[in-house]
Amino acid sequence: MNLFCLGLNHETAPVEVRERFAVPLDLLGKRSQALTQLDGVSEAVVISTCNRMEVYVASQYEKLEIAEANLKQSLGIADDEHFYECKSDNALKHLCKVVSGLDSMVLGETEIFGQVKKAYQSALESSATGGMLNKVFQKSFGVGKKVRSQTLIHSGQTSVGSVALDLAEKIFNDLKHCTVMVIGAGEMSRTTVHSMILRGVKKVYVTNRSLENAEILAAEVGGEAVPFDEWDKVLAEVDVVISSTGATEPVVRAQHIESVRKKRKYRPLFMIDIAMPRDIDPAVGEFEEVYLYDLDTLQKQVQVSVAKRAAQVRECEKIIDEEVAEIIEYARKANQHRKQ
Amino acid sequence: MNYILIAAAVLSGAAGLLGIRSITTDSGRSSWTMFLMALSFVVQLYILGIRGEQRGSCPLSDPGEILMFLGWSLTLFYLVVGSTYRVSLLGVFTAPIVTALLLIASMPGMLDIHPVHKNVSDYWWEMHTALSVLSYGALAIGSIAAIMFIVLDGFLKKHDMGSGLFKTMPPIFTLVSSMVRLTVTGVVFLTIGLVSGLMMSTHGGIHLWIAAVVWLGYLLLLGIWYVRGLTPKRMAMLIVSLFIASLAVFGAL
Repeated sequence: MNLFCLGLNHETAPVEVRERFAVPLDLLGKRSQALTQLDGVSEAVVISTCNRMEVYVASQYEKLEIAEANLKQSLGIADDEHFYECKSDNALKHLCKVVSGLDSMVLGETEIFGQVKKAYQSALESSATGGMLNKVFQKSFGVGKKVRSQTLIHSGQTSVGSVALDLAEKIFNDLKHCTVMVIGAGEMSRTTVHSMILRGVKKVYVTNRSLENAEILAAEVGGEAVPFDEWDKVLAEVDVVISSTGATEPVVRAQHIESVRKKRKYRPLFMIDIAMPRDIDPAVGEFEEVYLYDLDTLQKQVQVSVAKRAAQVRECEKIIDEEVAEIIEYARKANQHRKQ
Repeated sequence: MNYILIAAAVLSGAAGLLGIRSITTDSGRSSWTMFLMALSFVVQLYILGIRGEQRGSCPLSDPGEILMFLGWSLTLFYLVVGSTYRVSLLGVFTAPIVTALLLIASMPGMLDIHPVHKNVSDYWWEMHTALSVLSYGALAIGSIAAIMFIVLDGFLKKHDMGSGLFKTMPPIFTLVSSMVRLTVTGVVFLTIGLVSGLMMSTHGGIHLWIAAVVWLGYLLLLGIWYVRGLTPKRMAMLIVSLFIASLAVFGAL
């Protein structure tokens, strides 16, 4: 198979190198098309995400080496230190692994599937692909789907925020009727509340020692800023509390919950403490209607999911090997048939 | 008759087994559970229809018929709750109970071999028995939802999220809303059943008084839930306790 892949990723290159080679999404098609102008390159697809930049090139057998040299020159690769390359069936195998999330920073993540699909679509629309790469990419999408449906590679959550989100849905089912309070306007709270907003939470309150920062985050998420000494006044309204301040002493204590229990009619309260040291007094978790999760508990769940996914890698590779072998055999027979 | 009854029990038993398998193998909810329960429901309805024809009244005159009717009402509410709240996992808990009820009903001596045909019916008695058994069906499923809540609450409190059971269980809010709505439905049926019992031509006896106490207990519980509020765990435990206590009515029959 006259297929060639050249690329770098989070494992081979630091962020400053990846930044240098990153291609904006709207230029992927153009860049792929430009590569097909190089001598020896018949078809090309450029993939560029936060963690990788890869070029897949199809060439005539006799021109593969010329294509390789021209490609490197065109990309401005002075040394190969950060780049990896693979040819023919190894390139196909690599693409299948990428599409299946086996080569991702977060093992088994599903976002890469869509990113590769978009990159391929852009190349296709720019007429940078032909019979060879069209087949290769279509097949790799099929393999990616098979890996996802037949293994547990994407099961479980691999970030603290998504574990918290899953738990919130396990308690409240639909977050559309939930009110969230964010204590502390740090990065962790921001990420978690953003994913909750995507699930359609009803209202968000933001409180922070600096009211200004609270107002900034509140404006960002379409919520309401609350002065730090008044957050307990809105506690009766909220269903989910996300706390991530830099305080050295607990911010939320048992008496805060006790004072609003009756007003809340004892309805469930989900409390996520992602601060270190902890913001929420562990005694709060003793209340029957309170589900308290701290960073350790959430991270433990993340580790369980990661370990589960890692245990699936061999199974996924087996599927990829079988599928690639089938594709190669099919291509060989088609070639033979053509020659006859 | 017994063979048909056993067939209904086999169907609900298979539904339960499939449900348990879907949990233990982590394969998600089984739609076959719902289908088999629906099939079992139809078979149960057929048997009750035959018994009703033979009796010339609502078939609630011997222990076998009462158990069958209870199993049927459990299946009915399971099907209603299953589609409305998508709590098909309830089947895992409901199906074995229905199977047990039907198997006990099929045991020798439980069903009159030659049921007496009533020429004159007391409609208040028929309404009282039918609605009371229906109310027990709703209250029983409400209790099952409450048990499921207690189990899930335990998992969440202990931060135990790894089991297949945890993953398959419906969310806390769905379970709370199911157990409360089913209890309300049960109490509505029980109220009409109780009023019908007071209108009967024959004296209801002590079981009617026990039923009245049970009814008051449920009314008080729902009042506290809606007016003052109660932690869902306490509500679930009280629903289960009240249901167990309410079984005393059958002891007084």
